[in-house]
Amino acid sequence: MNWIAKLAAKAPVPIFIARGPDAPDETDRLHLNPALTIVDTPRAASILLVAGTLPHALKMYLHRLHDQLPHPRATVFWHSSPTEPFSNAVEIAHGDDLASVLLRTRAALLGGERASDADVLPDEPANEWQGVGPHGQGGKGMMGGTPYGRPMAMTDDDIRDGLKLDAYTAEFGPFLPMLPAGMILKLTLQGDIIQDVAVVSPPYEDARKGREIRALLRLLGLPTLANRMLVENAHRDAGFKRLVTLSGVRMAIPPDLGRTHDGSDVRSRFEHLLKDPFSPQKPHLTGLDLGDLLEGREWQEAMLILNSFDNVSLRKICANTRTNADEDSSEQTSGGHENMDHSAHGGH
Amino acid sequence: MMTFALAFAILILVLALGIWFAAVLDGVFSRQLSGHGTVGLLAPFHASAVYLTQQRLRTEAPDQLNWFLSIAGYLSVAATGLAVVPFGPDLAVIGLDTSVVFWGACESLIVVLVFLHGWSPNAPLSLIGAYRYVAIGLPIMLPSMFVLIAVAIPAQSLDLRDIVASQETVWNVIRQPLGLPLFLLLGLSLTLRGPFDYADSDDLAGGTSAEDSGANRAGWQVARLAMLVGFSAVASAAFLGGYLGPVLPGFVWVIIKTLVVMAIVIGLSHLLVRLPVARMLGLIWKILLPISFLDLLWAGLVALA
Amino acid sequence: MTVVLAVFLIIGLSFLFTAGLRAGVAVDDKRHATYPQQRPFLGGSDPETHALQRFHIRYYTMTLLFVAFEMEMMFMYPWAVVFVEEGPKALAEMGMFLAILSVGILYGWKEGIFEWE
Repeated sequence: MNWIAKLAAKAPVPIFIARGPDAPDETDRLHLNPALTIVDTPRAASILLVAGTLPHALKMYLHRLHDQLPHPRATVFWHSSPTEPFSNAVEIAHGDDLASVLLRTRAALLGGERASDADVLPDEPANEWQGVGPHGQGGKGMMGGTPYGRPMAMTDDDIRDGLKLDAYTAEFGPFLPMLPAGMILKLTLQGDIIQDVAVVSPPYEDARKGREIRALLRLLGLPTLANRMLVENAHRDAGFKRLVTLSGVRMAIPPDLGRTHDGSDVRSRFEHLLKDPFSPQKPHLTGLDLGDLLEGREWQEAMLILNSFDNVSLRKICANTRTNADEDSSEQTSGGHENMDHSAHGGH
Repeated sequence: MMTFALAFAILILVLALGIWFAAVLDGVFSRQLSGHGTVGLLAPFHASAVYLTQQRLRTEAPDQLNWFLSIAGYLSVAATGLAVVPFGPDLAVIGLDTSVVFWGACESLIVVLVFLHGWSPNAPLSLIGAYRYVAIGLPIMLPSMFVLIAVAIPAQSLDLRDIVASQETVWNVIRQPLGLPLFLLLGLSLTLRGPFDYADSDDLAGGTSAEDSGANRAGWQVARLAMLVGFSAVASAAFLGGYLGPVLPGFVWVIIKTLVVMAIVIGLSHLLVRLPVARMLGLIWKILLPISFLDLLWAGLVALA
Repeated sequence: MTVVLAVFLIIGLSFLFTAGLRAGVAVDDKRHATYPQQRPFLGGSDPETHALQRFHIRYYTMTLLFVAFEMEMMFMYPWAVVFVEEGPKALAEMGMFLAILSVGILYGWKEGIFEWE
């Protein structure tokens, strides 16, 4: 071990958590553990912690996530057993202390006694490079083709000011820290405005205690106060409540954001959660879909709306929303996009 | 030449000490406010060592040159900010008679560098952070420049050395009470912190730095802390009388005052809410900018009285 | 001359530091990022297209107002230096100037340029 590695071994272990539906309740409380740092992006993590058993449909997503960690890296399964490609992974046996296993694994990685995890996915570009130009571009003009293995975003209508610029369409989730765990949305963005939304997978059914209030505080730029919520009975602490009020949250949440038919909005749901973080408001959701809530919303506002509902409500809203499969079929009937050179794209 | 070497040595000392202290202070605040966590004096070294053991990843078709330039440039601008601050009468590394203008130029460069940092990785969350930061990073410079011009009025000079000297009788924080609070907001924006962290925030999983790993991440985080040091030193010179103070040598006063400003900025960053970006834009133009006009008017009337 | 020297010295050292971080890391770092490692982070999802795009910025009208104020700053620098000599006249002049520009803010506000268009 060189001296940098020796220093690094004394730091908390940076972990990225991929959460399954049956992740144990202690998962959230890992934030309180001084031996660990829970990071928001795999780029900063040394260890990928798989908490609980992932549904089969999410396996592919886990593989992609796993390969995004920088070397040296390791995978640790907690309350679940390593599945096929992760034969080299560490499993936390019953009765083992998670933090000490993570520390040991990290020390072994730094010391070179443990080999860094190899990629799960093959080392090849997402799509075949093809096109006329030297950089993989093709077709007429500069667009089209698949430069560096991916097509470029194409122009599309805009719902606000009508300026036709590039729309960015992608699936987001299921392991994004600002989305409820397990949720995958197919979003079309124009700039940072959500133009179109379809559900690929709803969030898990689990009722994690107090997820909503902590997520909202984090989204409002108050991660320290969000962590304070993990301390037992923090919401009964008058001093803490005063801090939250003085931070200006009431001014921050726009009025009527994420309004349901019975008049509940993000602000009222937040107030309710602050009083009682463990029993979120249950607004009437009949006929309400994600499109009504999110379309035309800026990114931070949209994330606030999503996290102001508990998972049960979110699943109901998702059930009202058109799914990714519906969208694909409607696209085929309308003849697809009228974008230039779209046929030149490979690998769709 | 001797004074230059001395000033440069103090600059490096303040920068290194400040970066370390800012990281420790951040830990102290988050411990106090969240009620858990540990604070170690060596923790910042351990944390940065972790980054240095990690692989530096690139993304698909990134702009490698600009990725490097944004990180190195951000650090340069931070150090340049510190360099215009006088550590004593005639003891500034960059002794310009237009140093306020020079610092203003540095401020605007930061918007460009943060944008580049989010643009270079060719990744969606970084890109949103980059464009969103520009919306707030640009207009928040206006109130800050107004309050800096207000402190130049009593000094009758755009030289930070003269501005410090003009506070011999009374500090600007008292003479122009609206100035420092407005300037602190700029500090939050320049260092991508708390209520003005539209670039690297949690709702974008780290925003412009979401794709940073290894040395890139270490470099960016160090540069952010360096920026905090640079900004705090400028604020202490413009509003808290810089090197002026009894008994102790001037540069010690600069260090003490810089640390005080740093603590305030870090505290604010943990305690103030971040508004959705359109609301913040309205707040800056409709409320903060008129308040900065008032500050200027106040400064003008006081100077004429 | 010292100023130019100092600026170059600071920029040079900052660049050296950043480059040094890259060079000084553990040997493991020298491996090349593979294609799956290079995929941008979307929480496990696979993006369809490159992220770089003709991005729809919602505040473009605000930037025009910003340019007006930024230009005004040019006049304010020398104004601040001569303010005490010129006295109330300077205050009145800048007051008028700012008043005219403020009409721009009011007009922009009415047109909704501080919203996300």
